[in-house]
Parts: sequence; C-alpha cells; structure tokens
Amino acid sequence: MNELIVRPEITPDMFLPIFTISTLVLVFGVAYAATITLAKMGYFSKKWMNLGYLFWALQTYSLYLLSVWIQSEPFTSKVLMVTMLAYLFIPHLYFRLIEDSDRRYDSGNNIAEQKN
Amino acid sequence: MANKNLSVWTSIPFWRRSAAWVTGFASILLIWLTFDTLGQITMGTDDDLKNGVTKRVPAATVINYKIGYEMSTKRGHEVPTIGEKEPFFGKEWSADDAADLLHLGKLTSQTKNCMNCHTLLGNGAYYAPDLTKAWIDPAWSKTGPMMAMTGKSTKEEAIAEFLQHPSTYPTHARMMPELGITADEAKGLVAFLKHMSSIDTNGFPRNFGKEEGSTNAH
Amino acid sequence: MLTSIKENHLTNKGQELGMMYFRVAIILFGAQLVMGLIAAIQFLAPGFLFELFDFSVARMVHINALVVWMLYAMIGATYMMLTDETGHEGVAIGLGKLGFWLLTAAVTVVVLVYIIVQVGPGTEASLWLIHEGREYIEAPRWADIGIVVVVLIFYFNVFATYMKGEKTGIMTVMVANLLALAGLYMAGMFYTDNISMDQFWWWWVIHLWVEATWEVFVGTLAAYALIKIIGAKREIVEMWLWIEVLMLFGSGILGMGHHYFWIGTPEYWWEIGALFSALEPVPLIAMFVHVLYDWGKEQGIAEGRGETASVITNGPAMAWIVTNAFGNFLGAGIWGFFHTLPQVNIYTHGTQFTAAHGHLSFFGAYATILIGMMYYGLQRAYGVQRMKLTFKSKMGIFLTTFGVMGMTIALTIAGYEQVIVERGEMGATWNAFFVAQNLPWYVQAQMWRAIMGVVTLLGFIYLAWDLLTIGKVSKEAEA
Ligand code: HEC
Ligand code: HEM
Ligand code: HEM
Ligand SMILES: [Fe+2]
Repeated sequence: MNELIVRPEITPDMFLPIFTISTLVLVFGVAYAATITLAKMGYFSKKWMNLGYLFWALQTYSLYLLSVWIQSEPFTSKVLMVTMLAYLFIPHLYFRLIEDSDRRYDSGNNIAEQKN
Repeated sequence: MANKNLSVWTSIPFWRRSAAWVTGFASILLIWLTFDTLGQITMGTDDDLKNGVTKRVPAATVINYKIGYEMSTKRGHEVPTIGEKEPFFGKEWSADDAADLLHLGKLTSQTKNCMNCHTLLGNGAYYAPDLTKAWIDPAWSKTGPMMAMTGKSTKEEAIAEFLQHPSTYPTHARMMPELGITADEAKGLVAFLKHMSSIDTNGFPRNFGKEEGSTNAH
Repeated sequence: MLTSIKENHLTNKGQELGMMYFRVAIILFGAQLVMGLIAAIQFLAPGFLFELFDFSVARMVHINALVVWMLYAMIGATYMMLTDETGHEGVAIGLGKLGFWLLTAAVTVVVLVYIIVQVGPGTEASLWLIHEGREYIEAPRWADIGIVVVVLIFYFNVFATYMKGEKTGIMTVMVANLLALAGLYMAGMFYTDNISMDQFWWWWVIHLWVEATWEVFVGTLAAYALIKIIGAKREIVEMWLWIEVLMLFGSGILGMGHHYFWIGTPEYWWEIGALFSALEPVPLIAMFVHVLYDWGKEQGIAEGRGETASVITNGPAMAWIVTNAFGNFLGAGIWGFFHTLPQVNIYTHGTQFTAAHGHLSFFGAYATILIGMMYYGLQRAYGVQRMKLTFKSKMGIFLTTFGVMGMTIALTIAGYEQVIVERGEMGATWNAFFVAQNLPWYVQAQMWRAIMGVVTLLGFIYLAWDLLTIGKVSKEAEA
C-alpha cells in the first residue's frame, strides 16, 4: 500500500469537532426558535427573548466555524451567513402569521385575551 | 375587526397555490436534471473504450482492461483509470459475451442479496466491507494473502473461488456464508465487481488502499 | 384491539377496515424487532445461526417488515379519517376488504419465502418469485404487481369518496400526495445491469418516500389529529399544512441530491444535494413548533373558559404525536443534517452513522405518529370519550423511545469510530473495515445497541399489551 495522498482536507482529528459543531448549529437553532416561541406564547416574559438572540448569535458562530472546518468556498460561507440573517427574522414572521391567522380564523377566542 | 386584517399571508388559497408552484417547480427541475444525469450514467460502448472516451459508467468490456484508482489533480479527487488490456479468466471478451457475463453477475448480486450484508457504491448494509472497489482491494493483489489462500494464480480466479466457498477461506470471525453460488455465477459476479470498480464515483471511497501494479501511472 | 371491531362503536365501515390494517401492522412491527435483534446478535456473535439464518436474511425481513407495517398503518389511518373528512361513507369498502385480505395473504407468502427459501439462483425467475435483492423494496415481482393492484383499490376508494364528499384541504393534500406516493413505487420495479442506473431510480422510491411524500402524509395526519384530539381550528391547521407541503416538497424533492454524491452521478449533485437537503430540517422545526404551539393555545383557551381538564381527549395518541414532533426533528433533522454535506458524507457514507440516522428517523418520524393513530382508532372503536394514559401506555412509550434513542447513540459512537479509523485513517479497504469493526469502543457500542434493542422490544410488549386492553379499560372506567 502506498502512503496516503495528502490533501488540504478533513483530517481524522477534525471529525469530532465537526460533528459537535454541526449538532450545536441545530441545537442553538432550536433553542433560539424555542425561546422566542415560549416568550411569544407568554410562558415567560419578553426579557427572555434576549437569551434567544444570544442563541442565534451562537448558532451563527457555530455555522461559521463549521463552514471553515469543512473548508467551504468563501462564497458558500457568505451564502450561509446571509441565510443566518434570514433565520433571524423567520420566527418573527412566523408569529406574525400565527397572530394574523388567529385573528382571521379564530377571533372568537384569541389566545392573547385568554392569557393575561 | 377581522376584515381589515385579511392579508394575503393568512390566505389559504395563497399558500395552496404557492405550495403547488414550488412543488411543480422542484419536480420539473428534478426531471430536467434526471434527463441530464441519465445521459451521463448510461453505459458507454466498446468503441468508447477502444477510443479512450471516458464514460462515468463504461461498457461491460471494461473487464478486458486493467483498472486503477488515481488522484486527478484536475478533479481534486481520485478517479478510476482504465489502463492497458489484460486477460479476464484467461481471455479477451467480446462485447456480447462481456455484456452477458455482466448481466449474469448483476442478476446474481440481487438474487443472492449481497446488498443486505455489503454496501455497493456505499449503499446497502454495514455488516461486511464496501464492494465498490473490491476488485482493486490490496488483499486480492499478488502481494495480498487471498491468492495464496485460494491457491489461484489470477485475481479473478481467486475471487471466484472465494465466492463459491467463502466460509472455507475465512479471514475473520465474521464470515461470509455459502450462498450456493455456481462457478458461472461466480465468474459473473467477478465481472460485476470489476465493472463496478471502473465507475466514476467522484472520489468515493477516499484514499482507497492502492494496489501495486494495478495501473501504469504513478 | 382484538375485539375492537366486534364492539362496533365505529361510525362507519372505513374505520372498521382501518382497524384491520392496524392489527396486521402491529404484528409486523413485532416481527421487525425480533429480526433486528437476531441481526444485532450476529454483529456480536457471528456464529449465531450462521448458514442457517444469515444476517442478510434477518436484515431483509427486518427492513421489509418495517416498510410494510408502516404502509399498512398508513392505509389504516387513511381509512380511519376518510369518512370523517369527506362526510361520505367510503364508496367501495367491501372491495377494500378484499384488497386487505389479498395483500395480507401476499405478505405472508412473501415473508415465508424470504425465511425458508432465502436465496435463489442468478436468474430472472428468482426476481419474480423469491426477492429482488434491493434494500427496502426486495419484494419479488409477482408481489410488486399484487401490491400495485391492492394500492389501486385503496386509491380508488380514497379518490372516489373524496370526489363524492366534501373536499377539505386535508383531504386534498391526502389525495394528491397518495397518488405521488403510489406512483413512485413504480420507479423501483424494473431491472437493469447498470448499477448506477439501478441506484439512481432506487432512491426515487426510498428518498422521495421518506423525505417527501411520507413526511407530507405525516403532516396531514398531524393536522387531522390536532383537530380531533385537541380541537384545533381547521382553517389554521390547513393553512399550516399548505405551508408545510411547500417547505417539505420545496426542500425534499431536490434534497435527493444527497444520495447522488457517489453513485456514478455527476458532480453538480454536490451543490444541489447540499443546498436543498440542508434546508430539509427547516420544515421539521416548523412542524415541531406548530404542534406544541397549538397544544399550548388550545389548553390556554380551555383554561380561559375556566375548565380545569386537559383539552386532550386521547392521552396516549397525543403523547405519541408529541414524541413524533421531537423524533422527527431529532432523527431526520439533526441526525440527517449531520451527514448531509458532501465534505462529511464522503467519510460517513455507508457506515454505522447511516444506521443510526435510519433508526431514529424511521422511528421518530413515522413509527410514533402511526402508533398514535392506532390509539385514536381504538378510542373511536370503543366509543370512549376520553382515553387516558395507562401504566402500560406509559411504559410502552417510554421504553420504546428510550430503547431506540439508546440504540441510536450507540450506533453513532460506533459510526464515529468507523469513520475515523476505517475511512479517515485507513482508506476503506477490506482490512480497514475489519480493523474498525474490532475496535474495543466499536464492539462495546454494538453490545449496547443489542441491549437497547432488548429494551425496545420490552417497550413493544407493553405497547402491544396496552393496545389489546386499553379500549376495554377506558370504556369500563367511563361507564
Ligand atoms: C450474510 C452476509 C453476506 C452476504 C449475503 C454476502 N457477503 Fe460477501 N462477505 C461477507 C463477510 C462477513 C465478508 C468478510 C469475510 C472475511 O473477512 O472473512 C465478506 C467478504 C466478501 C468479499 C471480500 C471482501 C472484499 O472487500 O473484497 C467479497 C468480494 C464479497 N464478500 C462479495 C460478495 C458478493 C458478490 C455477494 C453477493 C453474491 C456477497 N459477498 C454476499 C458477508 C456477506
Ligand atoms: C429491537 C430493536 C432493533 C434492533 C436490534 C435493530 C437492529 C438492526 C440491525 C442489526 C440492522 C442492520 C444494520 C446494518 O446493516 O449494519 C438494522 C437496520 C435497520 N433498522 Fe433496525 N433494529 C431495531 C429496531 C428498529 C426500529 C424500531 C426501526 C424503525 C422504526 C428500525 C429501522 C431500521 C432501518 C431503517 C434499518 C436500515 C438502516 C440503514 O440501512 O441505514 N430498526 N436494524
Ligand atoms: C423522516 C425522514 C427520514 C428518514 C426516514 C430517513 C431515513 C434514511 C435511511 C433509512 C437512510 C439509509 C438508506 C440506506 O439504507 O442506504 C438514510 C440515508 C440518508 N439520509 Fe435520511 N432519512 C430521513 C430524513 C433525512 C433528512 C431530513 C436528511 C438531511 C438533512 C437526511 C439525510 C440522509 C443522508 C445524507 C443519507 C445518506 C447516508 C449515507 O451516505 O450513507 N435524511 N436516510
Ligand atoms: Fe434522503
């Protein structure tokens, strides 16, 4: 067997960090969505939304690291960062939709009236 | 109060139409790409091989050639190489005979259920080694152990012998069972394995152990 | 469950047929787990049943039973909701019953042939009579044709009833989606000598099932269940259903590219597969948020009205549906995203990592909600107002979920070891494969997988027992 071809690619000691960081991307992503959801639903106060934004920042950073570690093209990294910017707005759009649709289809018993 | 908030965003017909458009668009794109891909993965012809035309999936007569797996600086990963001619089971196979042999081999690979123990092109089961590049596995080379073990002087005969009586030549506690493979079926299977190793898999598997002398380059 | 049809509180014949499908589904689920355990033991003790009942046979029955029980439960669930949604009695339920018996007879013969004959000679006849040797869709060709006939009967029932009855959004999605689901099966029915071509079309069935049409099916089931079980508002649920369809098909159809990285297909699939499949978790997050939000909202409304009771009229069904929301996101979303980028997939492709993802996703995304529908069917069959979780329901849900989660973690660890050593360091040869298989961590992980498999089976026993008894128990508690 000849020696391995050396290329600027993922080395074995990078697998664990890569798997960990891609999990973190999703975990922070969910944490962000969950915090915003729960705050909007009134389970805890709006102050906690700041924690949500912290999760979003961590997610963005994790995704950035991931893109560097898997040696993405600079262009791909930029696309990913734009995607993260979009993700910042998604939960807000989402709840606009929920509130509007509640008003439209379910105005008789709006959640906002029921929960203080 | 409801009426002034009738935005399009909460309109069911709006989302229904959008869903239909997006689905339609994605499907059309998929179908278009499918046509392109089918063109590229259709098996080449014997003439392609003779003229050195590279195909992602070469003709069955590729079994008449040496096959290697080399780094391509242009593509940035390994690609199969088709080298000079070599006999396969002691002869050169005509286009028809080679196609028949490959047909028998592919058919047998299904009826004997290789895919529920092995992976082929990386898909299947994870109980036994990936067979994508089994043909160029170092264990089957002149310097590997399997030829001596099966007492055969060529790689194809060694693999064929192993496939007919796998549990007679175990190398690990986890053995391959006897599947009632006949001598002809075994030949077909070896052709199938050799053909598969010549498919351009975009560099999968990476860094596959090189076999001495399987290619002229290096 | 056995007496569910005799009890006959069912309001229509379609539901009776639905219950018949559910019963076979649960039996096949049991068979699946036993086969999985045999295969898992063979990883640890390769001599076990060697050359009697080899790994390939156990695995084939394991994953075929899986696909078939899920299709049974999906057909059952559709018959369950058909009349409710359309307001019309199913048009040809008698024919549907004939189809059921035909299918069940065919499945029995197929499984017996798998187990007894196992392999055939390399001839076309073997493909027609024994099996086709292609993962998940191994059914021999005669059975393929039989399946198509029975599915046509089923589809005729659904479609004709839909045309005669009310056309709700949920049913519209159902009818369109089922057509795609059934049609895709045809892509897996032909033979070719070209292995790249073979796998190209094979993924049309497997991927476009589990990551497109089945997911949309789950979306429709969840929509129906949210209306029935917690009284969610139809318009809102249907609006979300269309958004989910948009996102699921928008990402899932081209996400198929993640299977076209290495099978001989061109390089442009790297970009397409990576981009679209990376978006696939987004609808799963949306579905997750939506289920929990609706639940919280309906509960809030009920409390606002001064009611203290839960809005949930079927405890076990809702518990399984909430598990589905989590499981779908974890198994398909997180574990899928893990290995979906080509830079990572070139190392993880076809390792225990894939098996980890396969287990959690099939269980989390499909087994859970289909079991939920079975509980819902039972509630209707026994005419129970409120079905509460029993001790057995709780043990069933806890042990199966814990078991599958445990297996997934074990396989992830095994996969990690395999990726590093076999793929990263040693270059994926025969020798490299076995060096990785014999690493101490890997072997221990396989051990834990088997142990967690036993836990799963235990959970299943509780589940089956509960399904058999909960109807009567709830009925008596209410009387
Ligand atoms: C029941 C599971 C099982 C089935 C079915 C099976 N194999 Fe194997 N196979 C194995 C195992 C296990 C090994 C490793 C044997 C060893 O190392 O001793 C193996 C080894 C091999 C090898 C040598 C490894 C290499 O990378 O070159 C080849 C070639 C092979 N099998 C081909 C086939 C073909 C072709 C079929 C279908 C006709 C098939 N196998 C069906 C389990 C199976
Ligand atoms: C008793 C519990 C179970 C055990 C012991 C078990 C064991 C196994 C084994 C040994 C394999 C073969 C893996 C390989 O090729 O290396 C397998 C494959 C598979 N099992 Fe299970 N299993 C169990 C339960 C389940 C459940 C509950 C599901 C889903 C609902 C499931 C779905 C699958 C799938 C989809 C595959 C194919 C995976 C792939 O090819 O990536 N199994 N199982
Ligand atoms: C409920 C939904 C899903 C189910 C049931 C499912 C199931 C499976 C199964 C069983 C396999 C193994 C196939 C085989 O035997 O070769 C597989 C492979 C794969 N899945 Fe999924 N999956 C789902 C969703 C997803 C999602 C959302 C993603 C990506 C984000 C994803 C990414 C992948 C990838 C990349 C592979 C290929 C693994 C390899 O290269 O070996 N899956 N999936
Ligand atoms: Fe997929």
